[in-house]
Amino acid sequence: MLPAPFTSEFLSRLECLRLQTRKEVLGSRPGSYSSPRRGTSLEFADYRKYSPGDDLRYLDWGIFARSDRLYVKLFREEVDLFAYLFVDASGSMAFPSLQAKFSPACNVALAFAYVVLSNHDHVKLHLLQESPAPLATPFFRGRHRIKGCIDFVSSISPKGPLELAPALGKHLKKVRRPGKAILLSDFLMPVSSYQPGLNLLRAFNLDISVIQVLSRQEIDPPFPRGDLALVDSESGEEMGFQWTERLREQYQEAMERHNRELRSICHQAGIHYSIFVTDQELSKYVLQTLPAIGLFK
Amino acid sequence: MEFLNPAALSALYFLPLLLVPYLIKGRTRRLRFSSLLLLRDLSKPSVGRRWGTLRLPPIFFLQFLLLLLLILALGEPVFSVRPTNIAIVLDNSASMQVLEHQESGEKSRFEIAKEKARDLLRSVPTEAKIDLYLISPRFEQFGGKTLGPGEAVPLIAALEPFDLGEPSLDYGKELSRLVEEKGYERVYFLTDHPVRNQGETIKTTFVGRPQKNLAITSFHISRTSFALSHSEARVEVTNFSSEQERIKVLLKGGEKVLSSRTVTVAPRKSVTLSFDRFPAHPYYEAELEGRDALALDNRRFAVSPVSKRLEILGVSPRPKALYSLRSLPGVSLNVISPKAYEESRDEGHSLEIFHYASPALLPKKHALFILPPEKNPLVAIHRALFQPIISDWREPHPLTRYVNFTLFQPPYARSLEPLSFGEAIVQSPEGTLVVALERQGRRYLILGFDPFPYLGRKNLPVSIFTLNILEWFYRQLGGASKGTGEPLDLSALQGGVLVTPKDEKFPVAEGARLFTRTFFQGIYQVNQGGEKNLTTVNFAVNLQDLKESDLMHPVPIDLKEAAEASDSRSFLFSLWPYLLLLSLLLLVLEWFFNPPVTRSSTDGLAAGVRLARPE
Repeated sequence: MLPAPFTSEFLSRLECLRLQTRKEVLGSRPGSYSSPRRGTSLEFADYRKYSPGDDLRYLDWGIFARSDRLYVKLFREEVDLFAYLFVDASGSMAFPSLQAKFSPACNVALAFAYVVLSNHDHVKLHLLQESPAPLATPFFRGRHRIKGCIDFVSSISPKGPLELAPALGKHLKKVRRPGKAILLSDFLMPVSSYQPGLNLLRAFNLDISVIQVLSRQEIDPPFPRGDLALVDSESGEEMGFQWTERLREQYQEAMERHNRELRSICHQAGIHYSIFVTDQELSKYVLQTLPAIGLFK
Repeated sequence: MEFLNPAALSALYFLPLLLVPYLIKGRTRRLRFSSLLLLRDLSKPSVGRRWGTLRLPPIFFLQFLLLLLLILALGEPVFSVRPTNIAIVLDNSASMQVLEHQESGEKSRFEIAKEKARDLLRSVPTEAKIDLYLISPRFEQFGGKTLGPGEAVPLIAALEPFDLGEPSLDYGKELSRLVEEKGYERVYFLTDHPVRNQGETIKTTFVGRPQKNLAITSFHISRTSFALSHSEARVEVTNFSSEQERIKVLLKGGEKVLSSRTVTVAPRKSVTLSFDRFPAHPYYEAELEGRDALALDNRRFAVSPVSKRLEILGVSPRPKALYSLRSLPGVSLNVISPKAYEESRDEGHSLEIFHYASPALLPKKHALFILPPEKNPLVAIHRALFQPIISDWREPHPLTRYVNFTLFQPPYARSLEPLSFGEAIVQSPEGTLVVALERQGRRYLILGFDPFPYLGRKNLPVSIFTLNILEWFYRQLGGASKGTGEPLDLSALQGGVLVTPKDEKFPVAEGARLFTRTFFQGIYQVNQGGEKNLTTVNFAVNLQDLKESDLMHPVPIDLKEAAEASDSRSFLFSLWPYLLLLSLLLLVLEWFFNPPVTRSSTDGLAAGVRLARPE
């Protein structure tokens, strides 16, 4: 059973989408994504001097006419895409509740997965959580494998703290092919915690997109005025506050600054960045917002 | 402004409880949050108080005002135009002489009432019209005219309480009548009785508190026998307190203590003492040694019997049988017919003998009824008996003393049955033959047989019985004693000067009948004749109302709400409906500014912010 937002209309519109990459990918089969290898696609890539035995069809007669030299045209190879979806499954993703944050984040991941699967490309889901073994699916291909993705994300509950770089590192050890990496997390961690993670992803030559997932209650906490003792859902740390309107405004400014910094780091690193507030309509976000930033075409 | 229900204002003490929900609200709440990353730098540690910081939003003051108005409305505030047509009713009965302990010393209740009346007069407008009323000896206006506040004050200051009991009045009815007839805007009633059902128009002020009291409730001087000259004093002492009391009773004559006796009286009980063999004096005083709350009832006065003889009025259609009584020393007899009795007003006798006769109403003197007719006020007459045997008699009893009833056999008798109450003294198997009763200090004896003529030794049992009867009546005869407020009968006196216990002198005109100003307890003396042949007639006047002496349980007065004077405007402007309306408006305002929390926000709060369990 598909989650509720995945209506038949939404699914049919997802099937029209295609993930966009800014890097060349190393697919194993013919597909629709550029590969650094030379192949037989229609997209011109380069020239090479003629060597006996080259296919005469690819001779560039224009250059010969002009220079009496023989050059053959080289074309890009188009291959299938390998997409890696990393979903943060730490304790903070369960705030305010599973249904309010983690499930919408998973739904975004499933939307991506469906797009990839619809294009007969490969998708693999990774859940980032402190665990003995990395939680990940095998590569799925074909639309019918969306069920496997759903089962996978449904089987795990977010919990515990998360160090992004080490967690990603465990999963990236098994990455053999460059492709598209989409990281879904709330990024409620210091820069020094998430930046190494992003750098790690870059080091694996992945085309990275970052979706920051936040709940409305994190953006605008509905705390009652007065004395509060707030408990961190990951570390269990407790801090006291006298919650006032002023403090709420300061928090929102700090949130804005933090998000801005993340966006800036992503931009500097050439990473797509988007923010998803979980009370938004999934279809609107996936069909309008994400294409607008160039994630889909 | 005043409050008709001031008890409701005690709810104001609970107003601070409104802070409690805000204190509870201000408690530190433990909530889970996704990450404290962005809050770390903003943290202003709370002081960790159990109850948090008290923050009072503007809505608190609105709620406070709302509650305050509601409580004030419950107190029924009225804005009273100061009344100008006022009556002040002062209780001037004997119990108002009771001394009350105050900070400034001891004061009588009447003094306290007067002070309060003066305070009242100071608070009324100068153009107010004041009518003063006293309740004793009767409920009537004092001074005879309407006064201004300035005139009323000295008049009240000169007032004194009387030694009188209170008249039997329905105060609620009387005061309501005053309001209706005179149109008073306010009636102030100052009394030492607790009052129920105060209203807007009639305001009562209660002066005094319950106190224990001992009183002499009866004092009687009589001759021990009509044949002898010795006197006997009987004093009854009553303890109105809830504890046993030991008290010394003094018998005084001529300002000297003639005898004394110490007695212990149980709570709410009476004890009667007798004194005898004391010298003769014109009048006597019984006094309790020591002081208690009410000094008035610690003394009582009595005069010696005027006559040494037993003066009898015989009423009989057969007077001959009665004449035999004249043979007895100390007996004076006058016999008239029943018809003459109806018309006569002979007051010179102390005993009436109705021999085969009976008045329509109970006589106001001691009376002996001998075989009365069936229509008599005391007994029902039953079957005739011939030579009845005496089977039972009350013993010991002064009437049956020394009588050998085995030899007592009247030839003819009728059995008797008391109509209301009476004591059977002598009985035969067929019924009661002698009934005795006492009513309001008077003794009545009814014989179902005729003991006359008096035959002396010839019929010793009957003669002894007859002498016992005369003795029994004679012992009850004392000096004339009246209650305060009762008029003195001066018709037997020919002029003179009456001197009251307060040393007021009133000339007694010839032919004068009654002196009514017996407001004070004591000896009233009528001096007749000149210096050389001065004769004095003494009258003892005592407080007769026991209710005035019972200071522990004053009888409450029930006032009914007086109708407003028909032509007066409503001088009490009730504020409570307006306060209630204002409260309702504030309630609407409070709902408007502090609406109930909507479902979505509560869901968000409930779903998004889970209370962390205490570790």
